[in-house]
Amino acid sequence: MNGSARKKALLAFAALVLLGVLPFVVGTYSIMLITEIMIMGIFALSFNLLFGYTGLLSFGHAAFFGVSGYVTAFLLIHDFPSLLLALLLGTLAAALAAIVVGYFSVRLDEIYFAILTLGFGMMFYTLVHQWRSVTGGSDGLTGLVLPSLGIGKLSIDVSSPKSFYFIVAVFFIITILVLLRIVRSSFGLILMSIRENKERAAFTGINIRAYRLASFVISGFFAGVAGGLFAVFDRMASPSMLHWTASAEPVLMTVLGGAHVFFGPVIGAILFFFIEHVITKFTDIWMIFLGAILIPLVIFFPDGVLGTLMTRRKKMREARREGEE
Amino acid sequence: MSLFFMNFLNGISLGMLLFLISIGLTIIFGVLGVLNFAHGSLYMLGAYFCFQIVSLSHNFWGALILAPVVVALVGGVIESMLLRPVYGRDVSFQLLLTFGVLLVLDDAVRLIWGSGYHIVDPPPLLNGVVHLGGFTYPVYSLFILFLGPFIGLGLWAFFRFTLWGKKIRASSMDREMAAGIGINVNHLFTGVFMFGTWLAGVGGALAAPLRAIGPSMGEKIIIESFIVVVIGGLGSFPGAFLGAMILGLINAYGAQYLPKATMALPYILLAIILLTKPRGLLSKET
Amino acid sequence: MKGAGFAKRGLVWGTLFTVILVLSLGGVAQAKKPIKIGSVYILSGFAATYGKFAKNGLTLAVEEINKAGGVLGRPFKVTFEDSRAKPPVALRAFRKLVFEEKVDALIGLDSSGVALSVVPVLKELKTPLIITHAATPDVTGKKCNKYAFRVSANLSQNVQVAARIAAKTGARKWTTIGPDYAFGHQTWEYFQKYLKKLNPKVAFMTTTAFPKIATEDYTPYITTIMNAKPDGVIISLWSGDLINFIRQAKKLGFFKGQFKVLMTLGAATEVLYALKDQMPTGIWVGTRYWFLANNSAVNKKFIKAYKRKYHVYPSYNAQNAYAAAYVLKAAIEKAGKVDKEAIVKALEGLEIEVPVGKIKIRAGDHQALLDVSWGKTAADPKYPIRILKPIVTFKGSEITPKVSETGCKR
Repeated sequence: MNGSARKKALLAFAALVLLGVLPFVVGTYSIMLITEIMIMGIFALSFNLLFGYTGLLSFGHAAFFGVSGYVTAFLLIHDFPSLLLALLLGTLAAALAAIVVGYFSVRLDEIYFAILTLGFGMMFYTLVHQWRSVTGGSDGLTGLVLPSLGIGKLSIDVSSPKSFYFIVAVFFIITILVLLRIVRSSFGLILMSIRENKERAAFTGINIRAYRLASFVISGFFAGVAGGLFAVFDRMASPSMLHWTASAEPVLMTVLGGAHVFFGPVIGAILFFFIEHVITKFTDIWMIFLGAILIPLVIFFPDGVLGTLMTRRKKMREARREGEE
Repeated sequence: MSLFFMNFLNGISLGMLLFLISIGLTIIFGVLGVLNFAHGSLYMLGAYFCFQIVSLSHNFWGALILAPVVVALVGGVIESMLLRPVYGRDVSFQLLLTFGVLLVLDDAVRLIWGSGYHIVDPPPLLNGVVHLGGFTYPVYSLFILFLGPFIGLGLWAFFRFTLWGKKIRASSMDREMAAGIGINVNHLFTGVFMFGTWLAGVGGALAAPLRAIGPSMGEKIIIESFIVVVIGGLGSFPGAFLGAMILGLINAYGAQYLPKATMALPYILLAIILLTKPRGLLSKET
Repeated sequence: MKGAGFAKRGLVWGTLFTVILVLSLGGVAQAKKPIKIGSVYILSGFAATYGKFAKNGLTLAVEEINKAGGVLGRPFKVTFEDSRAKPPVALRAFRKLVFEEKVDALIGLDSSGVALSVVPVLKELKTPLIITHAATPDVTGKKCNKYAFRVSANLSQNVQVAARIAAKTGARKWTTIGPDYAFGHQTWEYFQKYLKKLNPKVAFMTTTAFPKIATEDYTPYITTIMNAKPDGVIISLWSGDLINFIRQAKKLGFFKGQFKVLMTLGAATEVLYALKDQMPTGIWVGTRYWFLANNSAVNKKFIKAYKRKYHVYPSYNAQNAYAAAYVLKAAIEKAGKVDKEAIVKALEGLEIEVPVGKIKIRAGDHQALLDVSWGKTAADPKYPIRILKPIVTFKGSEITPKVSETGCKR
């Protein structure tokens, strides 16, 4: 037990060092790609609090990603002086939207929950698509001017890929720490007990709706963190951020990586971007190749790639131990 | 008043097409427990096969018979090779897998038929228009309007009175029990999936004379079909019919009365229905 | 067993090493370093046909140029990326092309939404972009930018011609059917503005139709508009949507002549080839290049080469991308070197003849001044598709708003 904890700490340390060193050894585009992976990683992790830990498959999570992106972009386009404050307001707007959507949605389960969240997500999409005077309609809000990030006397040029990488990395790490803390708390345990057996959890006196709503709002909050960062990263907010196809992305990444392991969504995001990057490198007919890779991954990794690998390793270790005995 | 009536016809005929596509989706879900994301792509395949057969043989009726059969064969391959390993897993896996199938089919169509648009003419018999009051109305739309209930009734009779229909219903209620009384569940599942995709193919072939056939034409219809089967009640036959009619009608009347909101109307309706009847309008469960 | 595995692995690595060696040696042997072009179009989804045409046109031009000795003795090399019609995807592709592929110039863009999101970021990418399709006036207007150029007709130029034709028809009461996004709404706004100026007596109806993109059933919109009894309708639908619309509208008697119909993108070959003889005749249609609109040697050569290679007449998107390659070639030759800033300088004020005619890229807003042709659809047994007869052509200098009116401030 002690050994495993030490191993984990070592692994975390190695990952941190890697994150810190990477931007100095790879090219500009790779820095941007990793930045995007971290943003989508935050998005997928936020989604998985709801899906993997609470057992609710949201198909409208892009709404919160997008609402935050739009609020952040709107503020920055109107010369809002502080980037961090714009991000914070965007994220709060996302959480607010999550309270409303969640209030209605968490009373449903399974596929009904999924379709209802899809419906709410598409309402938000329609709103930004049709409200031309405020959201720019189909054109979105483009050409954000980024204020420099001032912390104390230090002024950071956000538009440089390297400094933005580190800003996102900080958010990424904070998100991981907070979410880890949440899923390991008693609150997290209750969420998982609801996931496993709703009726039994209700019998023990747990207010299921309240817990689900809390999970929904936290999840929407972190989706908002990702959405705001994404708008800053791309210097725009576009309706495509809220479309159901955007909601499908964290689902894809999470299922690909593994919903029942904490880092599954992150591994899924890495895999997804890596596969896509490699495919589009040699062909522009990318869909057929992506499909041809996805299908066997789904079939042969019943618990996601990371999840299945971890179970397999555990089994092998147990088998070896039995052999030794 | 007559505009109101016209849009009623528009809504119903649009609904009929949606019904044909959704019903395949709902049958597959009811029996196999799989929500098939690639269902819209199979509808698209039906339209492309129809186009291909018509351009080779100039026979629409032949295409209407043959194209859905070819689609069903594709469906058989998908079920037996890809879907079978993921039964019993979480619904998200099935969504992801069928999403992969969607990607492959969409690109395959583009590689085979190019990225341009194609059209199919209705058969000469149905190519005309009729005059209704002050308006002209295409005969082909009327044809779909009448064909829809006909197919619906045929399906209902099939499930109600034939042995196969009963077997399918039995398996959808209890898989293990069905296997226990000697139904080969594997064959049955393949059969049902092919049947569902056949219906998607019929929808595609019937839609071919109405729509520009082009890449990704199934992507929009799949979301609409999801809405139809969910508001109607998953697995429910009359529910799919009702859902399709409602969606068809709000599309038609939305264009007339609330043009700015048509994009959002189906979703608002979806939310209202799910929040008042969480299992859909005509669900057997409560 | 183990030995066999090792041998196999050795073989694989050996082959891989050899391949890499041969490839890199090949690279060394080819002394003339290619000039890299990065190209981003919609290559998948419902509008994939536009990207395909652009790819065809650009590929043809690059082959011609390279065969004739390249540019400054160096060949062009194009890398294509799919925008999927999504701004974030397109931006990622641009970043990849500039930072990883290290391209010297960019050509592309179909969607206006994509163009508006990418153009402001060009200031960071510091690479010239030649837009060949996206028509929003803003990328050479309010959002104009040092690095963004456009060689294709934009929305305001095309709609200006539409307004002039509309004024001549004598129709008084106008309405529109257009896609429910910026393009459809802007077409209607510009049309009202321009037509009102030409004929203050016209009226614009409040009953308009803006069906969402990829609408399947247009009949409710068609019946609503017909029921409102306009004198003239301007239609800005395009691609598969326009095809769907035309077929459904025809059945309902929309083209029987009870009102004038103008289609801003009706003379697009992808639409005409799909519809063939189902395209109604006698309808005013616009486009951004019509292959029969001019008889110049440059145009004839292009049509012949395009038809030989792809077996169809060139669409506007093919011409625009083809033209962009020659524009870039001219700019590099004018600059005398392959340098991004020098190319930007050279592009400003550049004059060149391309298939659509003689064009000039304005230094003020980077919009090309080019002739815009409209015509009435007509049948001709010599062509497999409907052609335009008569054709009216307006001079670019006549129909393009002054730089001061575009809102471009750099």
